[in-house]
Amino acid sequence: MAEATLLKPKRESFWRSRAWRRFRRNPLAIVGTLIVLFFMLVAIFAPALTADRMGRNCLRDLGVKRTEAVKVLRNPLSPKFWQATLHPPASCYKIPRKGYSPIPKHPSRKYPLGLSGGGYDILYGLIWGARSAFYVGILVISVALLIGILIGGLTGYLGGWVDNTLMRFTDAVYAFPGLVLVMVAVTIFGRSLTTIMLAIAIVSWPTYARMLRGNILKVKAQDFVDAARALGAGPVRIFFKHVLPNAIGPLIILASLDIGSIVLSVAALSFLGLGPEIGFADWGQMVNFARNWIVGPPGEPLKYWYTWVWPGLAIALFVLGWNLLGDAVRDALDPRS
Amino acid sequence: MLTYAIRRLLQLPIVLFVVSVVIVGLLQFLPPTARAAAYVKSEQQLAHIDEIIKQYNLDAPFYVQYWTWLKNALQGNLGFSRVDKKPVLESIATRLPVSAELVLYAFLPTLLFSVWLGTLAAIYRDRFLDQLIRVLAVVFWSLPTFVLGIALVAVIYGYFKLFGIGRLPPDLIIQLAQQANAGEFRYYTGLLTIDGLLNGRLDVALAALKHLVLPTITLILVLGAQIVRVMRSSMLDELGKDYVRTARAKGLPEKVVYYKHARRNALIPVITLAGLMFAFMLNGVVITETIFNLPGLGQWAAAAAIQLDQPSILGFALFTAFIVALANIAVDMLYALVDPRIRYE
Repeated sequence: MAEATLLKPKRESFWRSRAWRRFRRNPLAIVGTLIVLFFMLVAIFAPALTADRMGRNCLRDLGVKRTEAVKVLRNPLSPKFWQATLHPPASCYKIPRKGYSPIPKHPSRKYPLGLSGGGYDILYGLIWGARSAFYVGILVISVALLIGILIGGLTGYLGGWVDNTLMRFTDAVYAFPGLVLVMVAVTIFGRSLTTIMLAIAIVSWPTYARMLRGNILKVKAQDFVDAARALGAGPVRIFFKHVLPNAIGPLIILASLDIGSIVLSVAALSFLGLGPEIGFADWGQMVNFARNWIVGPPGEPLKYWYTWVWPGLAIALFVLGWNLLGDAVRDALDPRS
Repeated sequence: MLTYAIRRLLQLPIVLFVVSVVIVGLLQFLPPTARAAAYVKSEQQLAHIDEIIKQYNLDAPFYVQYWTWLKNALQGNLGFSRVDKKPVLESIATRLPVSAELVLYAFLPTLLFSVWLGTLAAIYRDRFLDQLIRVLAVVFWSLPTFVLGIALVAVIYGYFKLFGIGRLPPDLIIQLAQQANAGEFRYYTGLLTIDGLLNGRLDVALAALKHLVLPTITLILVLGAQIVRVMRSSMLDELGKDYVRTARAKGLPEKVVYYKHARRNALIPVITLAGLMFAFMLNGVVITETIFNLPGLGQWAAAAAIQLDQPSILGFALFTAFIVALANIAVDMLYALVDPRIRYE
């Protein structure tokens, strides 16, 4: 027994690692984690949280009657609860409307955060907005990572002229203001959530490509790669079995922390009116709904404050949570700072 | 240095060529009739859409189309902006001063202010001042430009009735237009704060300045936060280096160590960021101009994107590429000025 443990190089457990200790002791990291966890819970349980205020189409697609919605969708033992939580129909992402009046309605018992111009239920939009934020963030990061890994992997591993050409290309995309490129894409391919998600992925991969290239260059120079080559492994096997797994870890962690900034870009586009279709639960669009009501009627300049404060606060907090978390993880991983 | 500058400037057409090929290439996803819309100026022309397609070779192979586009572009014909009902180039010319004025008043204060705060945070590392600056920086960095802008409009403009929205008060705009027609007010630069002074119209300059306060504050807070963060970590890097210890060991006063030694070296990454930030200001301008109703390039681009006005958007994208490329060259030049070790052959 004792010999076996001696022979096996002991792997430092995560819970005892220096990085975890640094992270745990950073109060900002705790705040960030709590904010992100809060939004995650809201996003996951959005159907249960909004069971009492769901729109007609959403209920119909779920196959739930309005009278029993609260009972069924808030009961973890019913299959409908799981269906709604794990895979809600697309119609649930639409904010239900109460009337079509362009004038916002003050908070009431039924609508605790009020109705935005056009009768959109602000509370519903906020809760499902959290879900769509994660949806958009995760999807965009995955696509951007895929492109980044492909290009960063090729340039870092192959080097030479491939590296030179692809890196110049990467620099060009990196230097160009992303919003402008996305606007070009929207005018050509039309306005839709898919267009802007793809467009944002296409402008955000260069960071990952650069990061991966740097990591690969470091890993490539290490002895175990030479050892593998000496044992007769081919270049493809070396790349996928030895180089990539050792270079990719930090990249994936750091990329996933970018969800905040991705959501920020999408929100900015939605705010401009270039985002998903009207009525989709999206915080940026909710701020856009409020645009005509920012300054209230004479004498009551802050009359409609609830139309922009809540969605604005939601975006700011969401991004802040991810940024705090991101800073803390970077600090913990990088012992230099 | 001079030859390097000239060589870099000669690369500029290449950058624009690549960007324009990409853009005209993207347009191939649209049918020829949609591409023809770029050159339609009035509804009467819609009946003759085939002639326009012929005239601009819009149904020809890509290289012929690009060549025609390039010939027209070089003659200043970038198409017709539907949003402004003017040729695209004219739109850019009339709107550029508005954006330039905004960036002009936002850029330098952002740099100075955030370099100062970043240095302070690094010097007082882990003490109260540092913690405060760091928290504020991460909060403002996370704050979306449009949320901050709307909050400023609602509270400062709406509630406290301070400053203004738009470029000038409406009555002043009408008055100026009349006087400009009569030749009593001349636009030298297009920047109202400067033209006001040049015409001896202090009221115009002051009104224009008042209307710039809120948008500039928005840009300064959001962009400055990023620079503070980079400046702080770069300064911390420098303070940990050997030459700083040597300087201290020699008995140099702390002030000299901080400001003459460490900060000069810490500025290098900030210059890179400042160049990038210039590009990001063009992003930020789209949103700030929309919120504060300033008739600049950003507002134009936002309106054009909503109305699918592709010639305007493409003109804006080309112009942005031009500015970004120029900013990059300026950054490389600045490197050499700040860091004498860097010399260009």
